[in-house]
Amino acid sequence: MRAPTEQSIAAGEVLLSVEDVSLSFGGVQAISGVSFDIRKGEIRAIIGPNGAGKTSMLNIINGFYQPQYGRITFKGETRSKMRPNEAARGGIARTFQNVALFKGMTALDNLMAGRTLRMKRGFLWQLLRFGPALGEETEHRQRVEEIIDFLKIQAIRKVQVGRLPYGLQKRVELGRALAMEPDLLLLDEPMAGMNLEEKEDMSRFIIDVNTIYGTTIALIEHDMGVVMDLSDRVVVLNYGRKIADGTPEQVRNDRDVIDAYLGVTH
Amino acid sequence: MVTEAARANTFPKLLIRNADIYADRPGYRHKNLGIWQVWTWRQMLDQVRAFSLGLAELGVKRDDKVAIIGSNRPRLYWAMCAAQALGAVPVPIYADSVAEEMAYILDHAEVTVAVVEDQEQVDKILSVSYQLPQLSHVVYDEPRGLRDYDHSRLKWIDDVQALGRDRTAAHPESLSEWEASVAAGKGADLSVILYTSGTTGRPKGVMLTFDNIIISAVNGNVFDKLGPDEEVIAYLPLAWVGDHVFSYAQPFTAGFCVNCPESPDTVGEDRREIGTTYAFAPPRIYENLLTMTMVRMEDAGLLKRKMFNYFIALARRWGEKILNGEPVPLHARLLYWLGELLVYGPLKNQLGVSRIRLAYTAGEAIGPEIFRFWRALGVNLKQLYGQTEASVYITAQPDGEIYADTVGKPNIDVEVKIADSGEVLFKSPGAFAGYYKEPQKTAETKTPDGWVHTGDAGFIDTKTGHLKIVDRARDVGRLNDGTLFAPKYIENKLKFYPNIREAVAFGDKRDFVCVMLNIDLVAVGNWAERNNIAYGSYQELAAHARVYGMLAEHVAEVNRSLAEDQAMAGAQIRRFLILHKELDADDGEVTRTQKVRRSFVAERYAPLINALYSGASEADISTEVTFEDGRKGTLSACVKIRDTAPIAPVLEKAA
Amino acid sequence: MDLLYKIFIDPFVQMGTAPDLLMQTLWEGLVAGVLYALIALGFVLIFKASGVFNFAQGIMVVFAALTLVGLYGVLHKWGIRPADVAAYGALALTVLVMLALAWCVERLMLRPLVNQPDIILFMATFGLTYFLIGLGELVFGGDPKVIMTEALHLPSGAYEIKMFGGFVSLQKIDIAAVLIASIMVAGLGMFFQKTRIGRALRAVADSHKAALSVGISLEQIWVIAWFAAGIVALVTGIMWGARSQVEFSLQIIALKALPVLILGGFTSIPGAIVGGIIIGVGEKLGEFYWGPLLGSGIETWLAYVIALVFLLFRPEGLFGERIIERI
Repeated sequence: MRAPTEQSIAAGEVLLSVEDVSLSFGGVQAISGVSFDIRKGEIRAIIGPNGAGKTSMLNIINGFYQPQYGRITFKGETRSKMRPNEAARGGIARTFQNVALFKGMTALDNLMAGRTLRMKRGFLWQLLRFGPALGEETEHRQRVEEIIDFLKIQAIRKVQVGRLPYGLQKRVELGRALAMEPDLLLLDEPMAGMNLEEKEDMSRFIIDVNTIYGTTIALIEHDMGVVMDLSDRVVVLNYGRKIADGTPEQVRNDRDVIDAYLGVTH
Repeated sequence: MVTEAARANTFPKLLIRNADIYADRPGYRHKNLGIWQVWTWRQMLDQVRAFSLGLAELGVKRDDKVAIIGSNRPRLYWAMCAAQALGAVPVPIYADSVAEEMAYILDHAEVTVAVVEDQEQVDKILSVSYQLPQLSHVVYDEPRGLRDYDHSRLKWIDDVQALGRDRTAAHPESLSEWEASVAAGKGADLSVILYTSGTTGRPKGVMLTFDNIIISAVNGNVFDKLGPDEEVIAYLPLAWVGDHVFSYAQPFTAGFCVNCPESPDTVGEDRREIGTTYAFAPPRIYENLLTMTMVRMEDAGLLKRKMFNYFIALARRWGEKILNGEPVPLHARLLYWLGELLVYGPLKNQLGVSRIRLAYTAGEAIGPEIFRFWRALGVNLKQLYGQTEASVYITAQPDGEIYADTVGKPNIDVEVKIADSGEVLFKSPGAFAGYYKEPQKTAETKTPDGWVHTGDAGFIDTKTGHLKIVDRARDVGRLNDGTLFAPKYIENKLKFYPNIREAVAFGDKRDFVCVMLNIDLVAVGNWAERNNIAYGSYQELAAHARVYGMLAEHVAEVNRSLAEDQAMAGAQIRRFLILHKELDADDGEVTRTQKVRRSFVAERYAPLINALYSGASEADISTEVTFEDGRKGTLSACVKIRDTAPIAPVLEKAA
Repeated sequence: MDLLYKIFIDPFVQMGTAPDLLMQTLWEGLVAGVLYALIALGFVLIFKASGVFNFAQGIMVVFAALTLVGLYGVLHKWGIRPADVAAYGALALTVLVMLALAWCVERLMLRPLVNQPDIILFMATFGLTYFLIGLGELVFGGDPKVIMTEALHLPSGAYEIKMFGGFVSLQKIDIAAVLIASIMVAGLGMFFQKTRIGRALRAVADSHKAALSVGISLEQIWVIAWFAAGIVALVTGIMWGARSQVEFSLQIIALKALPVLILGGFTSIPGAIVGGIIIGVGEKLGEFYWGPLLGSGIETWLAYVIALVFLLFRPEGLFGERIIERI
């Protein structure tokens, strides 16, 4: 659902950029003057030691926090403030560090909830449940089933999500984000708390989402190996500032980055 | 006189027949993306024909071998028929084999084309393809992840079928050529080569002709009155003869429908949805379903549990009798009916077996408790004894003659005899043609007049006339004091306890019997939770003193049972230990059908066995393990050993 | 001994000997129960969707009924005839008023307080209550009003059924109440389960964060939830008011909803129904058969005693969601 003023972005061009963004809460400066961009079709990693401001950055991109200074340009439109559901409507989907799922609903219902924005027919049609509404419902169900197949979660389709182990919950959350058919997918520590096998599965899913669906991905991750393998470009934050920005190779050898992780004070 | 060509004595011919007489009836179903897709027999003929012609385009011809590797997918079954139509021979391989195992078979069988399920299988084959110069093409069913692979020798089934259809469009005579090829098939032609995952040595390729399988299958259909209305779910390994008969031969001959589940994880739910009427499974499937039920019952509320226990006790008392049609007092019948409403019905529904008309267990002995439990619930569970070399059917229990410890009477057209050594031999139309490229081994197993050595020791029970299997013939041994030692007999008694997953007994040419046990993680884990025993790993749980205590009780009970049998009283267990890790097929300790590889295990765990017989109270062991992806590691542990006192046999009262 | 007899045997004997009276009592219990359930339903709707315990639900019932009567009076004064056109016109306008109320509540109360703890929002509903009381008294005056039942085509009179050797009298208005309530509950149930908006409501009730990330507008959902609660309040007000009168003291009835919610669970629509009926029937039976023994007034406290028992043994109610946390 594109607003008429949005431009169509080609692969490789800038999809989202943040310019000179600063955020503080109650005296604590979480982010100061950070600028970077995300190109369409790439996997962009955001890394940094704990407390560097990574999750805050993601929250700004997706509208949960409003920065005091700076601008965000997404698909050609620049704005300084955005509400979360506007971000969602614009094509940004998000997963959370601690998994924000509808715990009382089944995995299938959670994924169907992800289709909310794509459901066009009005409330009265829905109620009557036939004609165009039914056809639409079936279409959404089919898309969701394709995602279920992709993520191999058929067996837990009808299980209440609150009862699933953490690893599967994260997979369902990814599924819900995918159901939105987003242009930009924000993943906050998608591998947290997973064992080796689960990490490999998740890595493969992320790569597949990027190559098969063409979704641009920005992810926060602590596992350096994952970052080096998966991402096209990396931006490094420390104490709310950007200290490096480039390919994984460039960033790995950057002096400032090494110092930041080893805790050397400047 | 019906000509060879006109008789439907090969699977392709059966398909053509079914497309005619069962045209619009469902043949195969597959649940995909949440919905069941169905193909009628008529549609199947079209699909198989296109596939077949496509394979011909890839160079498959008469006598070529086509490997089939994957889980139960309709198109893999169709691949078998497509190959057979060209006079080629399908060679199914276990989907969870590691690459080296696959390479051995692909090489030994001289496979030229492999039809596989997905990327995982493709990767395995590609990793060993340099060892297989004869392999010209790999065809896959599920395209995910394979988009960017080099497709010079890799093809998608859809594309292969397109090749077939293009050929038919360009050369209409290819259709009649195909039909002629089908008609040229003879009953004596090779239908399939099934490699048995041997418990000793390398797998052997059992050659089965169309006559072997089809006559056996038809006899099976007649024996159990199977018709086109049955519904089965295909979830057992494609490469196992049981599945080949159950999900391929019998459907083709009887005309019923095979349902392929969405994924291995959803089998239970899919089974429930379909409401299968005919089941065929090794005992552990029935065991697992039961264990899960018991475990879930422990979690239920007090009222539910009391109700469950009461009605199950009732079922144990009367259920089997009711199922067998024996006279039962009226009040018991009424109570049982109430039980059906409140407990058995919902339970069977939950397990997906409400509509089961017939369930077979085969492949191994089943715990009598478990066997009786299912029958008590009203499920017509019967035992069957068979082998790959027999196209399955050797003996089966007829309706009305069901006992927990026999394997039944010879099937239609089967003859059984017991050799002096105690080994069971059979002769039947299903007896295999030979082992592929192993004439010596074939001669060792099959006598010139057609009798096949089964390798099992057994006897005919005088009371019932049924066959009873004691053990693998070569495993039956003797203790140093001459007592008969049948390890399987003892191991089965132990494995009947839900807490014990596997047991290996030693005693041949020894002074006494010792066993090594594996705990069942689900059952024991559950018990541990309930009793507040914390554990961080399988190893920790297996070493826990209280777990040892619990298992010691089981061993004592087994000893009591052995003491009752004069021949076995001397073979009671004196010492046992619990292994620190489960015996695993990936480590070569058990076969792909979960049968223990005795000599391999004896070799690998020699330090433990020595400790058992030397009287030591514990022993160190370090074993190499293979992870699922093929990597290797080592696992070390200090395993404790326990003694158990044997029980004096009950002396016969003096007359 | 005699006391035990009186408590455990006598009432059942009475029930047995005069089954027509038993039927009558059961029926009245059912009707009362259904009306309690309706009130509880209003609470459930708002609690489910915005996590707020709406203290003002009771006064919303009164306010809705007053608005209806008031608007009818106005329309009647302006010469709208016949009476039922004026009545249904007033009804339609009242629905709009409830929508406006919902919108105002969302804008002026919920939005500014969105990140505050639940207790603050609860206090805000207190404020809303007194605001509505004040507004109601100002606009409509404090004396009791009468619902225009004939104009609304609500039936009056009763059916007398011969049963068990006696009579059971069923008020037609009661039958209508039970029917209308059932239809409404069924409709709401389907709405929650089957429609996109219903799903969105459940989503918002489950997790605000997740709902926002999926693009659901919390504000829109809250308006819809409060509007639905307003409609329920309106129907409750009509039904209850038709059986007696519309006066401000009616809002006390809302307190009865509390035991119903404890029994049925705060987030369950079927729970509200079942809980309401249990309380209603229990009360009437208790009052009629055990009343003489334990002193009348059982109706006042029995519901709370039942609620207490539930809090001890099953705090989430019969249908409420078991709070299972995966550690």
